[in-house]
Amino acid sequence: MKRILAVIALVAATVAGARAHHSSAMYDQDKTVTMRGVITQVRWTSPHVNFSVLTDPARGQTGMAWVLEATSPGNLQRSGWTRTSLKVGDRVSVVVAPLRDGTHGGWCRGVTLIESGKKLEC
Amino acid sequence: MACRQLIVLVALAAAACSRPATTARPTPDTVATSLPDWSGIWVPDIGDQIGQMKGNPVPWTSAAAVEAQRLTEAEAAGHPKGLFANCLPEAMPSWMLVSHNALEILFTPGRVTMLGESDGNRLRRIYTDGRPHPPDPDPSFHGHSIGHWEGDTLVVDTIGVFPQTYIAISEAVGVPNNGDMHIVERIHLAGSDVLLDELAITAPHVLTKTWNTTRRFMRQTGANPDILEGVCLQGSFAEQTDAGGDAVFVPVPHTDEGNPVPPPTP
Repeated sequence: MKRILAVIALVAATVAGARAHHSSAMYDQDKTVTMRGVITQVRWTSPHVNFSVLTDPARGQTGMAWVLEATSPGNLQRSGWTRTSLKVGDRVSVVVAPLRDGTHGGWCRGVTLIESGKKLEC
Repeated sequence: MACRQLIVLVALAAAACSRPATTARPTPDTVATSLPDWSGIWVPDIGDQIGQMKGNPVPWTSAAAVEAQRLTEAEAAGHPKGLFANCLPEAMPSWMLVSHNALEILFTPGRVTMLGESDGNRLRRIYTDGRPHPPDPDPSFHGHSIGHWEGDTLVVDTIGVFPQTYIAISEAVGVPNNGDMHIVERIHLAGSDVLLDELAITAPHVLTKTWNTTRRFMRQTGANPDILEGVCLQGSFAEQTDAGGDAVFVPVPHTDEGNPVPPPTP
Protein backbone atom coordinates (compact mmCIF):
# COMPACT_ATOMS: atom_id res chain seq x y z
CA MET A 1 0.00 0.00 0.00
CA LYS A 2 2.87 2.31 0.86
CA ARG A 3 4.31 1.64 -2.58
CA ILE A 4 1.04 2.58 -4.27
CA LEU A 5 0.80 5.79 -2.27
CA ALA A 6 4.40 6.61 -3.14
CA VAL A 7 3.65 6.12 -6.82
CA ILE A 8 0.59 8.35 -6.60
CA ALA A 9 2.56 11.04 -4.78
CA LEU A 10 5.29 10.91 -7.41
CA VAL A 11 2.73 11.14 -10.17
CA ALA A 12 1.10 14.13 -8.54
CA ALA A 13 4.43 15.87 -8.18
CA THR A 14 5.66 15.24 -11.69
CA VAL A 15 2.62 15.92 -13.79
CA ALA A 16 1.22 18.88 -11.96
CA GLY A 17 3.46 21.28 -13.81
CA ALA A 18 3.06 19.85 -17.26
CA ARG A 19 0.06 21.92 -18.10
CA ALA A 20 1.13 24.32 -20.79
CA HIS A 21 -1.09 24.22 -23.81
CA HIS A 22 0.23 21.89 -26.43
CA SER A 23 -0.61 19.56 -29.23
CA SER A 24 -2.25 16.29 -28.25
CA ALA A 25 -0.23 14.39 -30.86
CA MET A 26 1.66 12.48 -28.19
CA TYR A 27 -1.61 10.60 -27.61
CA ASP A 28 -2.61 7.88 -30.05
CA GLN A 29 -6.03 9.05 -31.16
CA ASP A 30 -6.54 5.80 -33.10
CA LYS A 31 -6.50 3.75 -29.90
CA THR A 32 -8.77 3.69 -26.91
CA VAL A 33 -8.18 2.32 -23.45
CA THR A 34 -11.05 1.87 -21.03
CA MET A 35 -10.25 1.69 -17.35
CA ARG A 36 -12.17 1.45 -14.09
CA GLY A 37 -10.82 2.80 -10.87
CA VAL A 38 -10.93 5.55 -8.31
CA ILE A 39 -10.10 9.23 -8.70
CA THR A 40 -7.01 10.09 -6.63
CA GLN A 41 -6.43 13.69 -7.71
CA VAL A 42 -8.26 16.40 -9.64
CA ARG A 43 -6.54 19.56 -10.87
CA TRP A 44 -9.10 22.00 -12.29
CA THR A 45 -6.45 24.20 -13.75
CA SER A 46 -5.59 26.13 -16.89
CA PRO A 47 -4.70 25.50 -19.57
CA HIS A 48 -5.61 21.80 -19.22
CA VAL A 49 -7.58 20.02 -16.56
CA ASN A 50 -5.97 16.80 -15.39
CA PHE A 51 -6.92 14.07 -13.03
CA SER A 52 -5.41 10.85 -11.76
CA VAL A 53 -6.99 7.43 -11.58
CA LEU A 54 -5.82 4.38 -9.63
CA THR A 55 -7.16 1.47 -11.62
CA ASP A 56 -8.78 -1.53 -10.06
CA PRO A 57 -6.20 -4.28 -9.49
CA ALA A 58 -6.19 -6.95 -12.12
CA ARG A 59 -5.86 -10.55 -11.05
CA GLY A 60 -2.57 -10.97 -9.24
CA GLN A 61 -1.52 -7.37 -9.83
CA THR A 62 -1.75 -4.06 -8.06
CA GLY A 63 -3.71 -1.15 -9.46
CA MET A 64 -2.03 1.23 -11.88
CA ALA A 65 -1.78 4.99 -11.49
CA TRP A 66 -2.79 6.88 -14.64
CA VAL A 67 -2.73 10.60 -15.28
CA LEU A 68 -5.36 11.80 -17.69
CA GLU A 69 -5.59 15.15 -19.40
CA ALA A 70 -8.55 17.05 -20.79
CA THR A 71 -9.23 20.43 -22.36
CA SER A 72 -9.40 23.74 -20.49
CA PRO A 73 -11.72 24.48 -17.56
CA GLY A 74 -13.66 26.92 -19.75
CA ASN A 75 -14.18 24.45 -22.56
CA LEU A 76 -15.21 21.74 -20.09
CA GLN A 77 -17.63 24.10 -18.37
CA ARG A 78 -19.27 24.89 -21.68
CA SER A 79 -19.78 21.15 -22.23
CA GLY A 80 -21.47 20.68 -18.87
CA TRP A 81 -18.70 20.15 -16.33
CA THR A 82 -18.08 22.02 -13.11
CA ARG A 83 -14.93 21.99 -11.04
CA THR A 84 -16.59 19.47 -8.73
CA SER A 85 -17.85 17.09 -11.40
CA LEU A 86 -15.03 14.74 -10.44
CA LYS A 87 -13.96 14.36 -6.83
CA VAL A 88 -11.26 12.39 -5.11
CA GLY A 89 -12.70 9.02 -4.18
CA ASP A 90 -15.21 8.85 -7.04
CA ARG A 91 -15.34 5.50 -8.77
CA VAL A 92 -15.22 5.99 -12.51
CA SER A 93 -14.97 4.32 -15.85
CA VAL A 94 -12.82 6.35 -18.22
CA VAL A 95 -12.16 6.07 -21.94
CA VAL A 96 -8.84 7.55 -23.03
CA ALA A 97 -6.54 7.89 -26.01
CA PRO A 98 -3.31 6.53 -24.50
CA LEU A 99 0.18 7.93 -24.79
CA ARG A 100 1.95 6.51 -27.81
CA ASP A 101 4.94 5.36 -25.75
CA GLY A 102 2.84 3.03 -23.64
CA THR A 103 3.29 4.81 -20.34
CA HIS A 104 0.30 5.51 -18.17
CA GLY A 105 -0.98 8.78 -19.47
CA GLY A 106 -3.88 9.55 -21.72
CA TRP A 107 -6.19 12.11 -23.24
CA CYS A 108 -9.63 11.83 -21.68
CA ARG A 109 -12.48 11.15 -24.08
CA GLY A 110 -15.24 10.44 -21.60
CA VAL A 111 -15.90 9.66 -17.96
CA THR A 112 -18.76 7.73 -16.40
CA LEU A 113 -19.38 8.10 -12.69
CA ILE A 114 -20.14 4.52 -11.70
CA GLU A 115 -22.34 5.30 -8.70
CA SER A 116 -24.69 7.71 -10.48
CA GLY A 117 -24.23 6.64 -14.07
CA LYS A 118 -23.61 10.26 -15.04
CA LYS A 119 -21.58 10.63 -18.21
CA LEU A 120 -19.17 13.49 -18.88
CA GLU A 121 -17.62 14.18 -22.27
CA CYS A 122 -14.05 15.38 -22.18
CA MET B 1 -29.54 49.93 -44.16
CA ALA B 2 -28.81 53.02 -46.21
CA CYS B 3 -29.98 55.21 -43.32
CA ARG B 4 -27.80 53.21 -40.94
CA GLN B 5 -24.74 53.64 -43.14
CA LEU B 6 -25.51 57.33 -43.39
CA ILE B 7 -25.60 57.55 -39.61
CA VAL B 8 -22.23 55.83 -39.43
CA LEU B 9 -20.78 58.10 -42.08
CA VAL B 10 -22.07 61.18 -40.33
CA ALA B 11 -20.63 59.96 -37.08
CA LEU B 12 -17.30 59.18 -38.68
CA ALA B 13 -17.23 62.54 -40.39
CA ALA B 14 -18.04 64.28 -37.14
CA ALA B 15 -15.34 62.35 -35.38
CA ALA B 16 -12.83 63.16 -38.10
CA CYS B 17 -13.66 66.88 -38.00
CA SER B 18 -13.37 67.07 -34.26
CA ARG B 19 -10.27 64.94 -33.98
CA PRO B 20 -7.28 66.70 -32.54
CA ALA B 21 -3.88 66.45 -34.17
CA THR B 22 -2.77 64.05 -31.47
CA THR B 23 -5.32 61.85 -29.83
CA ALA B 24 -5.33 62.55 -26.14
CA ARG B 25 -8.56 60.77 -25.40
CA PRO B 26 -10.88 58.44 -27.27
CA THR B 27 -13.34 60.03 -29.62
CA PRO B 28 -16.63 58.23 -30.12
CA ASP B 29 -16.35 56.86 -33.63
CA THR B 30 -19.74 55.37 -34.17
CA VAL B 31 -23.31 55.56 -33.05
CA ALA B 32 -23.49 52.74 -30.53
CA THR B 33 -26.72 51.38 -31.88
CA SER B 34 -25.27 51.10 -35.37
CA LEU B 35 -22.67 48.54 -34.44
CA PRO B 36 -23.34 44.88 -35.17
CA ASP B 37 -24.26 42.48 -32.38
CA TRP B 38 -21.05 40.66 -31.47
CA SER B 39 -22.13 40.07 -27.90
CA GLY B 40 -21.57 36.80 -26.12
CA ILE B 41 -18.79 34.27 -26.13
CA TRP B 42 -17.09 33.06 -29.30
CA VAL B 43 -15.32 29.72 -29.60
CA PRO B 44 -13.03 28.91 -32.53
CA ASP B 45 -14.28 26.35 -35.04
CA ILE B 46 -11.52 23.73 -34.77
CA GLY B 47 -12.75 21.87 -37.83
CA ASP B 48 -12.43 25.07 -39.82
CA GLN B 49 -8.88 25.52 -38.52
CA ILE B 50 -7.94 22.04 -39.69
CA GLY B 51 -9.66 22.57 -43.03
CA GLN B 52 -7.74 25.79 -43.60
CA MET B 53 -4.50 24.10 -42.54
CA LYS B 54 -5.00 21.32 -45.09
CA GLY B 55 -6.66 23.26 -47.89
CA ASN B 56 -5.00 26.65 -47.81
CA PRO B 57 -1.27 26.10 -47.47
CA VAL B 58 0.95 28.83 -46.13
CA PRO B 59 3.21 30.34 -48.85
CA TRP B 60 6.34 29.67 -46.84
CA THR B 61 9.75 30.63 -48.12
CA SER B 62 11.88 27.59 -48.87
CA ALA B 63 13.68 27.83 -45.54
CA ALA B 64 10.45 28.24 -43.57
CA ALA B 65 8.87 25.38 -45.49
CA VAL B 66 11.69 23.06 -44.41
CA GLU B 67 11.10 23.97 -40.77
CA ALA B 68 7.31 23.62 -41.07
CA GLN B 69 7.72 20.22 -42.71
CA ARG B 70 10.11 19.07 -40.00
CA LEU B 71 7.63 20.05 -37.30
CA THR B 72 4.73 18.48 -39.21
CA GLU B 73 6.59 15.19 -39.41
CA ALA B 74 7.53 15.36 -35.74
CA GLU B 75 3.90 15.89 -34.76
CA ALA B 76 2.77 13.07 -37.04
CA ALA B 77 5.29 10.82 -35.33
CA GLY B 78 3.86 11.66 -31.93
CA HIS B 79 6.60 14.04 -30.85
CA PRO B 80 4.99 17.47 -31.20
CA LYS B 81 6.95 20.61 -30.48
CA GLY B 82 5.09 22.60 -27.90
CA LEU B 83 5.07 25.99 -29.60
CA PHE B 84 3.21 27.52 -26.68
CA ALA B 85 4.37 25.22 -23.91
CA ASN B 86 6.34 28.07 -22.33
CA CYS B 87 3.04 29.84 -21.59
CA LEU B 88 4.01 32.98 -23.47
CA PRO B 89 0.98 34.30 -25.38
CA GLU B 90 -0.01 32.58 -28.59
CA ALA B 91 0.09 36.18 -29.78
CA MET B 92 -0.71 37.54 -33.22
CA PRO B 93 -1.55 36.04 -35.57
CA SER B 94 -1.64 32.61 -33.91
CA TRP B 95 -4.33 33.56 -31.39
CA MET B 96 -6.66 34.05 -34.32
CA LEU B 97 -5.31 31.04 -36.25
CA VAL B 98 -4.94 28.09 -33.88
CA SER B 99 -6.43 28.87 -30.47
CA HIS B 100 -8.83 26.37 -28.94
CA ASN B 101 -10.04 28.86 -26.38
CA ALA B 102 -12.96 31.24 -26.21
CA LEU B 103 -12.94 35.01 -26.65
CA GLU B 104 -15.30 37.92 -26.17
CA ILE B 105 -15.36 41.31 -27.88
CA LEU B 106 -16.20 44.60 -26.20
CA PHE B 107 -17.17 47.85 -27.93
CA THR B 108 -16.42 51.12 -26.19
CA PRO B 109 -16.08 54.59 -27.71
CA GLY B 110 -12.91 54.67 -29.75
CA ARG B 111 -11.91 51.09 -29.14
CA VAL B 112 -12.71 47.46 -29.73
CA THR B 113 -11.24 45.06 -27.18
CA MET B 114 -10.80 41.33 -27.57
CA LEU B 115 -10.47 39.32 -24.40
CA GLY B 116 -9.44 35.68 -24.45
CA GLU B 117 -9.48 32.80 -22.05
CA SER B 118 -5.88 31.66 -21.85
CA ASP B 119 -2.28 32.86 -21.67
CA GLY B 120 -3.03 34.70 -18.45
CA ASN B 121 -6.05 36.21 -20.17
CA ARG B 122 -5.42 37.40 -23.68
CA LEU B 123 -6.03 40.96 -24.76
CA ARG B 124 -6.09 42.87 -28.02
CA ARG B 125 -6.73 46.61 -28.01
CA ILE B 126 -7.92 47.82 -31.41
CA TYR B 127 -8.10 51.61 -31.56
CA THR B 128 -10.99 52.88 -33.69
CA ASP B 129 -10.66 56.55 -32.75
CA GLY B 130 -8.84 57.49 -35.94
CA ARG B 131 -5.31 57.52 -34.60
CA PRO B 132 -2.50 56.30 -36.86
CA HIS B 133 0.08 53.73 -35.93
CA PRO B 134 3.01 55.22 -34.03
CA PRO B 135 6.03 55.59 -36.30
CA ASP B 136 8.09 53.12 -34.26
CA PRO B 137 5.77 51.07 -32.07
CA ASP B 138 7.18 49.17 -29.14
CA PRO B 139 7.14 45.50 -30.14
CA SER B 140 4.50 43.48 -28.35
CA PHE B 141 2.87 40.09 -28.54
CA HIS B 142 -0.33 41.41 -30.09
CA GLY B 143 1.13 44.40 -31.88
CA HIS B 144 -0.36 47.84 -32.40
CA SER B 145 -3.81 47.65 -33.92
CA ILE B 146 -5.94 50.36 -35.45
CA GLY B 147 -9.35 49.73 -36.91
CA HIS B 148 -12.30 51.27 -38.64
CA TRP B 149 -15.78 50.17 -39.57
CA GLU B 150 -16.85 49.58 -43.15
CA GLY B 151 -20.54 48.97 -42.64
CA ASP B 152 -20.75 45.97 -40.32
CA THR B 153 -17.17 44.91 -41.00
CA LEU B 154 -14.34 45.83 -38.64
CA VAL B 155 -11.13 46.36 -40.58
CA VAL B 156 -8.06 45.95 -38.38
CA ASP B 157 -4.49 46.83 -39.28
CA THR B 158 -1.75 45.44 -37.05
CA ILE B 159 2.00 46.07 -36.97
CA GLY B 160 4.64 46.04 -34.26
CA VAL B 161 4.45 42.37 -33.38
CA PHE B 162 7.48 40.67 -31.86
CA PRO B 163 9.49 38.86 -34.58
CA GLN B 164 9.49 35.81 -32.32
CA THR B 165 5.73 35.23 -32.49
CA TYR B 166 4.72 32.25 -34.57
CA ILE B 167 2.73 32.06 -37.73
CA ALA B 168 1.24 28.76 -36.62
CA ILE B 169 -0.98 26.26 -38.33
CA SER B 170 -1.34 24.10 -35.23
CA GLU B 171 -0.11 24.09 -31.64
CA ALA B 172 2.91 22.11 -32.86
CA VAL B 173 3.66 23.55 -36.31
CA GLY B 174 4.64 27.16 -36.86
CA VAL B 175 7.52 29.41 -37.83
CA PRO B 176 8.51 32.72 -36.19
CA ASN B 177 7.39 35.66 -38.30
CA ASN B 178 10.95 37.08 -38.07
CA GLY B 179 9.88 40.72 -38.21
CA ASP B 180 8.22 43.36 -40.41
CA MET B 181 4.92 41.49 -40.25
CA HIS B 182 1.76 43.32 -41.25
CA ILE B 183 -1.69 41.86 -40.68
CA VAL B 184 -4.96 43.17 -42.09
CA GLU B 185 -8.18 41.61 -40.88
CA ARG B 186 -11.77 42.04 -41.99
CA ILE B 187 -14.00 40.77 -39.21
CA HIS B 188 -17.73 40.42 -39.70
CA LEU B 189 -20.70 38.20 -39.01
CA ALA B 190 -21.24 35.38 -41.51
CA GLY B 191 -24.49 34.25 -39.95
CA SER B 192 -26.28 35.16 -36.77
CA ASP B 193 -23.88 33.14 -34.62
CA VAL B 194 -20.81 32.92 -36.84
CA LEU B 195 -18.02 35.47 -36.79
CA LEU B 196 -15.60 35.35 -39.70
CA ASP B 197 -12.07 36.74 -39.55
CA GLU B 198 -10.51 37.25 -42.98
CA LEU B 199 -6.78 37.61 -42.47
CA ALA B 200 -4.16 38.89 -44.87
CA ILE B 201 -0.76 38.17 -43.34
CA THR B 202 2.34 39.69 -44.86
CA ALA B 203 5.64 38.52 -43.40
CA PRO B 204 8.40 39.08 -45.95
CA HIS B 205 11.06 37.11 -44.09
CA VAL B 206 9.13 33.83 -44.03
CA LEU B 207 6.35 34.16 -46.63
CA THR B 208 6.78 34.53 -50.38
CA LYS B 209 3.52 36.47 -50.66
CA THR B 210 0.65 37.65 -48.50
CA TRP B 211 -1.18 34.68 -47.01
CA ASN B 212 -4.92 35.13 -47.18
CA THR B 213 -6.80 32.85 -44.83
CA THR B 214 -9.98 32.84 -42.78
CA ARG B 215 -11.09 31.60 -39.40
CA ARG B 216 -14.57 31.06 -38.00
CA PHE B 217 -15.72 31.62 -34.44
CA MET B 218 -19.03 30.27 -33.18
CA ARG B 219 -21.25 32.15 -30.71
CA GLN B 220 -22.01 30.02 -27.68
CA THR B 221 -25.70 29.67 -27.00
CA GLY B 222 -25.71 26.81 -24.48
CA ALA B 223 -25.62 26.86 -20.71
CA ASN B 224 -22.63 28.25 -18.83
CA PRO B 225 -20.95 29.94 -21.79
CA ASP B 226 -19.04 32.47 -19.72
CA ILE B 227 -15.31 32.86 -20.07
CA LEU B 228 -13.32 31.62 -17.10
CA GLU B 229 -10.11 33.09 -15.87
CA GLY B 230 -7.38 31.24 -17.72
CA VAL B 231 -3.85 31.66 -16.42
CA CYS B 232 -1.53 29.41 -18.37
CA LEU B 233 1.14 29.28 -15.69
CA GLN B 234 -1.37 28.13 -13.10
CA GLY B 235 -0.72 24.59 -14.22
CA SER B 236 2.94 24.94 -13.29
CA PHE B 237 2.09 25.37 -9.64
CA ALA B 238 0.45 23.18 -7.06
CA GLU B 239 -1.90 24.55 -4.41
CA GLN B 240 -0.43 23.66 -1.04
CA THR B 241 -0.21 24.82 2.56
CA ASP B 242 3.18 25.82 3.91
CA ALA B 243 4.66 25.04 7.31
CA GLY B 244 3.18 28.24 8.71
CA GLY B 245 -0.30 27.30 7.64
CA ASP B 246 -0.50 29.76 4.75
CA ALA B 247 -2.09 28.74 1.47
CA VAL B 248 0.64 28.99 -1.17
CA PHE B 249 1.39 28.14 -4.78
CA VAL B 250 4.41 25.86 -5.06
CA PRO B 251 6.33 25.34 -8.31
CA VAL B 252 6.36 21.79 -9.53
CA PRO B 253 8.63 20.16 -12.08
CA HIS B 254 7.51 19.81 -15.67
CA THR B 255 8.91 18.85 -19.03
CA ASP B 256 10.37 21.44 -21.37
CA GLU B 257 7.75 20.50 -23.95
CA GLY B 258 4.92 21.07 -21.51
CA ASN B 259 3.68 17.55 -21.97
CA PRO B 260 2.32 15.47 -19.14
CA VAL B 261 4.79 13.13 -17.54
CA PRO B 262 3.19 9.76 -17.11
CA PRO B 263 3.55 7.84 -13.87
CA PRO B 264 6.35 5.32 -13.68
CA THR B 265 5.34 1.88 -14.77
CA PRO B 266 5.51 -0.43 -11.74
